[in-house]
Amino acid sequence: MSMIEFHDVNKYFGKFQALKNINLTVDRGEVVTIIGPSGSGKSTLLRCINGLERITSGQLIVNDFDLADKKTDMNRIRKNVGMVFQHFNLYANKNVLQNVTLGPDLVLKRDKAEVEQEARDLLKMVGLESKADSFPGELSGGQQQRVAIARSLAMKPKAILFDEPTSALDPEMIGDVLDVMQKIAENGMTMVVVTHEMGFARHVGNRIVFMDDGKILVDSSNVNQFFDDPQEPRAKEFISKIINH
Amino acid sequence: MHIFIDAYSWINLRYLLQGLGVTLEVSVASIIFSFVLGVILGLARYVKIKYFSAIVGFVIDVIRNLPLLLILFFTYFALPEIGIRLNVIIAAIVAMSIFESAMLAEIVRSGINAVPRGQMEAARSNGLTFYQAMRYIIMPQALKKMIPPIVSQFISLVKDTSLATIILLPEATYHAQIIYGQNINYMIPMFVALAVMYFVVNYALSLASRWLDRRLVQSN
Repeated sequence: MSMIEFHDVNKYFGKFQALKNINLTVDRGEVVTIIGPSGSGKSTLLRCINGLERITSGQLIVNDFDLADKKTDMNRIRKNVGMVFQHFNLYANKNVLQNVTLGPDLVLKRDKAEVEQEARDLLKMVGLESKADSFPGELSGGQQQRVAIARSLAMKPKAILFDEPTSALDPEMIGDVLDVMQKIAENGMTMVVVTHEMGFARHVGNRIVFMDDGKILVDSSNVNQFFDDPQEPRAKEFISKIINH
Repeated sequence: MHIFIDAYSWINLRYLLQGLGVTLEVSVASIIFSFVLGVILGLARYVKIKYFSAIVGFVIDVIRNLPLLLILFFTYFALPEIGIRLNVIIAAIVAMSIFESAMLAEIVRSGINAVPRGQMEAARSNGLTFYQAMRYIIMPQALKKMIPPIVSQFISLVKDTSLATIILLPEATYHAQIIYGQNINYMIPMFVALAVMYFVVNYALSLASRWLDRRLVQSN
């Protein structure tokens, strides 16, 4: 059962081609990590999945909806696909609890008391139940990112996309965020994660995708082999750089 | 010194205050209309609807680059030529509202643009519609950023009402002119009185904005 399917997808920004003939299938419950140099199209690929960017040509199916079809209601896709950003993007005018409850309240129109209880449980799960009344500006980066994950989970999505979730964090904060992500993965969530955290890719990921210059060069289920003995020359070069630096 | 005492006779002061009443009436009405209109125009320019936003942008640019005095002339002297005859207070309110709403539209647009892009992306990814994202996330943050420039715009609006003496609007400056027109010795006392009146009104506005700003900062 596939959750996300790219068929010959191309994406242009003006004349610049950001995605070149992408074919990729993500099954339900799978954790796919995407790595590659900056500008390789990783983020664009992710942003196409929840319609923040529209594909230029090809076919993209998410949760059985055809995203290339103009009639597809993007809000329905986004209800089911969460997104966690590099820079957290918590609502600056809302406190932590409101950040988590806003989506379920406004979009799913669920019972407020029930939503609040669930939100508090989620905050507990990410270790921030004591911060419910704080504003984003009062939290560290790692704390903000965990709130952002809780916000995403509150919508009970079928998949969550992570766009370099630890790249803007201090090293000592990264572990907390990765722990939370691992917990979510163990609960069977479909996840597509753009990251350079090799530990996460090896231990949590089921599959690794390597991108360069808008193309997918490697798509492998053998994650350890990919890192230990990469076959593809560009991947080899990239991995030697991130390991030796 | 007795010139001041004579100039500030009860009758003169009452007449000046009547003028101030008109100043405030025109100011408050123009502030309300221009705020509503300014937010609508600013949003219209922000959302980038084909042609429509471009036209709105062009109109805003035209108005912003005309002197208010000329807009006053248009509403009071030119509109009757096409059969629209406005009483002087209404004409002043219309002119001020048109002029100020163009100014405010730009403040609104830049206030919205100052909210980081990620806020909208996060809201949309969270499943909110564009309208919900604007209403609950973007506009509350944008309005906070807009308060200081909006208040300074309102302060210049209050001062600019004095330009409407040119169409004989019976506001404070015009009444002062009438008083010293009858006795030229009263000119300086009248200028002083006007200065005090404008200062009190506008300083009160500044204080209100500071208070509002502090409250909003606290609530965050």
